[in-house]
Amino acid sequence: MSKRMKKIGILVGFLAAALAVASPAIAHHSFAAEFDTNKPVKLTGKLTLMKWANPHAWIYIDVVGPNGKVTNWALETSAANSLLRRGWRKEDLKAGTVLLVEGWQARNGSPTANITSITFENGTRLFAGSSNPAAREQ
Amino acid sequence: MIRANALLVGVLLAATAMVSFAPLPVAAQQRGQRRGGQAAPPPPPIRRMPDGKPDLTGWYQADAGGANYGLENKPANGLIPPSRGVVVDPPDGKLPYQPWARAERIERELPHRGYDDPTAHCFVAGVPRSIYTPSPVQIIQPAGYVVMLFERMNWRQIPLDGRAHIPDDVRLWQGDSVGRWEGDTLVVDTRNLNGKTWLNEVGDVLSHDAKVVERLTPVSGNRITYEATVTDTIAYTRPWTIRMNLDRQDDELLEVACHEDNGDLQHLKDVRDEYRAKNKKE
Repeated sequence: MSKRMKKIGILVGFLAAALAVASPAIAHHSFAAEFDTNKPVKLTGKLTLMKWANPHAWIYIDVVGPNGKVTNWALETSAANSLLRRGWRKEDLKAGTVLLVEGWQARNGSPTANITSITFENGTRLFAGSSNPAAREQ
Repeated sequence: MIRANALLVGVLLAATAMVSFAPLPVAAQQRGQRRGGQAAPPPPPIRRMPDGKPDLTGWYQADAGGANYGLENKPANGLIPPSRGVVVDPPDGKLPYQPWARAERIERELPHRGYDDPTAHCFVAGVPRSIYTPSPVQIIQPAGYVVMLFERMNWRQIPLDGRAHIPDDVRLWQGDSVGRWEGDTLVVDTRNLNGKTWLNEVGDVLSHDAKVVERLTPVSGNRITYEATVTDTIAYTRPWTIRMNLDRQDDELLEVACHEDNGDLQHLKDVRDEYRAKNKKE
């Protein structure tokens, strides 16, 4: 990451945070059916796989629980093209990257969540949510 | 570097759009005022083709305020985002539903009906929904046509040569559209819709009787005012109209191959099946 990209990344992070604060409800029908707003999650873990897929991309992270047990969480995000427009880059999301993610857990209690943002160790935060009606992309 | 700048501008636009959910900043913009009292530069003039007709070509995003989650003004419902409301006629902003269609619309918003939204199955969004799904459209104008390319990998071709509609017994997801210019307004008349589409994720209703007249009026080089009037005597008691802006941006279409990994569909089916099992009549 060049210095300029870092600066832009930080700015993007701030703005993404502002967006997330301004609109906590940023998902759509399928998410409403599948995920539970009463189950907010905030997880830190090491990225094991980033699946750039449509209509929604997925991140998988290993989260170490209080008992030392490792759980692989599946995290649903927006579409791959939306992530690209929001500053997500393949080179920044290699296996082993430590991420803090925020979102809502699946209703069925499985280690699956719909996430609104990811934050890198350097503090850069990127918006991950789907179907933000006020954003310029899906 | 161009991409980085475009990204920055995009995020700033997104942030502005979010913050300006309240009408005040938009009103201030319309008055040509900036913070600090400086006058904003005037918008660029309408672009024109060599024959003098408006040049609508470009990459646009609708400022739809969540129309894909409800055409009427409504608050957020769990993880379904709020809607600003885009109905301008009737003046009260409420869709003039027939009672059966209102009841259907209310039920469609329930979790177990999410599976029934055709777009959850990657079908095309139909007319007018394709315009205001939160996904961009590229407009091109080859001779004799206006063509809309939607990022969700479907299209509408609108001939301008005065041809008649196709026979009534041919029914299509995007309908059959013909267009004409009325001054600087592109008027698009769409019929032959198949009645299978939903108007958004909460299931605003459109029947196979629907006829849609869209009016695209460029108001500057970077903005089109978009209106769609729907006449559908099966689902509604009178015609109604929605309005929103389409904003031209410096971007390009990307790929959204919806069938690639449509894992949500199975989850929606599970929710539906669970509901059906619980409510099974003995």
